[in-house]
Amino acid sequence: MGIPFPSLAFFQALQQRTKDDAAAFEKLGYCDTTFGVRVGDELFRVAFEVYECVEVAAGGNAAELDFVLSAPVALWREMLASIQAHGGADGAHTINTLTHVGDVMKVEYEDPEGHDRFYRFMATIQAFFDEARTLDLELD
Amino acid sequence: MAYIAPKDFSQDPELLATVMRVMGGDLDLSWMKDHPHPIRAHASQPARGLTLDDINRDPAYGPASIPEIVRHNFSMAPRGAVLPEGLPSLGYRVNRKSDVWADLGPALFEESKSRRWAPASTIPWAALDAAGYGREEDRAIRQLATGLISMCLVAADVPSRWVWLMNQEFHEIKYLQCAHMFDAARMAEAFRKRALYGHGALGRDSRELGDFLKMVIDSETYPLASAATNLTLYSFLQALGRRLEFVSRNAADTALMTRIVQDSTRPIAYGVDHIRSLLAERPNEAVALGEHLDLIENGLVGLLGSREWIEPLIVLSGGNVDAVAAFYRRSVDEYFARCARAGLDDRAARSPLPAFLNLIEGRC
Repeated sequence: MGIPFPSLAFFQALQQRTKDDAAAFEKLGYCDTTFGVRVGDELFRVAFEVYECVEVAAGGNAAELDFVLSAPVALWREMLASIQAHGGADGAHTINTLTHVGDVMKVEYEDPEGHDRFYRFMATIQAFFDEARTLDLELD
Repeated sequence: MAYIAPKDFSQDPELLATVMRVMGGDLDLSWMKDHPHPIRAHASQPARGLTLDDINRDPAYGPASIPEIVRHNFSMAPRGAVLPEGLPSLGYRVNRKSDVWADLGPALFEESKSRRWAPASTIPWAALDAAGYGREEDRAIRQLATGLISMCLVAADVPSRWVWLMNQEFHEIKYLQCAHMFDAARMAEAFRKRALYGHGALGRDSRELGDFLKMVIDSETYPLASAATNLTLYSFLQALGRRLEFVSRNAADTALMTRIVQDSTRPIAYGVDHIRSLLAERPNEAVALGEHLDLIENGLVGLLGSREWIEPLIVLSGGNVDAVAAFYRRSVDEYFARCARAGLDDRAARSPLPAFLNLIEGRC
């Protein structure tokens, strides 16, 4: 039985991967940001501190987050399928590529300094999602 | 001409006599009695280690001890040390805290070291052997990399022009300037390798890029240099990194541009915090900053409109000029938002950039 997506269990599994694969995240360096992942209408809160993901939660107030990555469920599933197929996001499905134009995946933010945390820690955030390659997911 | 100390130490009878007494066992140990303010300095988060912010918590040693205008120490003595009489002045010219300080500075310095990478080994260069670009796209990337080398070298030069003039009391900001130099040097190295990898060649330099960079590097004060470099130059370096990651078709360019984005965002974070702190302390500085950015952004119009810059971007966008215009628009909007966050909220109204954007959008 795979991990359903979207679900809190999915983000908890990714959080655990930042502990199990600690060496990879330490190599990327400090990452201090609390951001949101909006999958359709569902918001998940993800907090990073030092090297690892220290908290994931369902819901929350988007205004209190540094930024929110927002996309329809289908796009997130497409991104995760790419990660699983290639062992990490291919060029067309990196977080930067998906958000760059702003009409595929949106980056919602109120504070430009919070928004810039997305860019300061982009390599870690990408690595976080790329850990989905190790998970047994239900994407259908 | 080297500095000549007022004493000829090798011939100073008092010094030599003291040394002989000490070597004979007559230790004075007066320096041991100097414990001006011992503190407890421990890592607040073991995983992060002992950071500058950890050792700055005590107001006797932290930035809270720095006066707005430093008059008590022009020597090399570290902040918080006991200052004996007769210390030489090192001639520091940047002695106002608000000219340099940002509360985020110490953390950004730690972050810079923690998020280190090495172009030689971090980037999977061999992926460029099947880069996935056509001939013209390949030339376009190498052309942009050529200009980016120049941009990053100037981004390294600017802090080097100021760091030795900054008072030692601002050591965290001096450390950060050194980190910015190293980060910029690493980016210049990486872009040079990107331009030359395989059967590569550098592209053509650009007069407009040169003019823009000369305006940045010739900024007359440190706050003006910080605004021009950290807010303006790095905003567009970051934007270009994001654009080149977006058009990337191989793991090497994806990895490289992701690092460029994160390394160019730390100076932006410092610049926003620095200029905001400066304007909170000295609001009138907004006039000089605004006038300077008027000139810098004029130079930026030249760069963004130059053939050596915009044409490779169009080539990499499949000939889609609308896409490049939209990219410029997003980049400028984000830059203005950062300026506003820093307290310079009138950029959109006075900058030459919006008219330039309107022009190219109208022609698209």
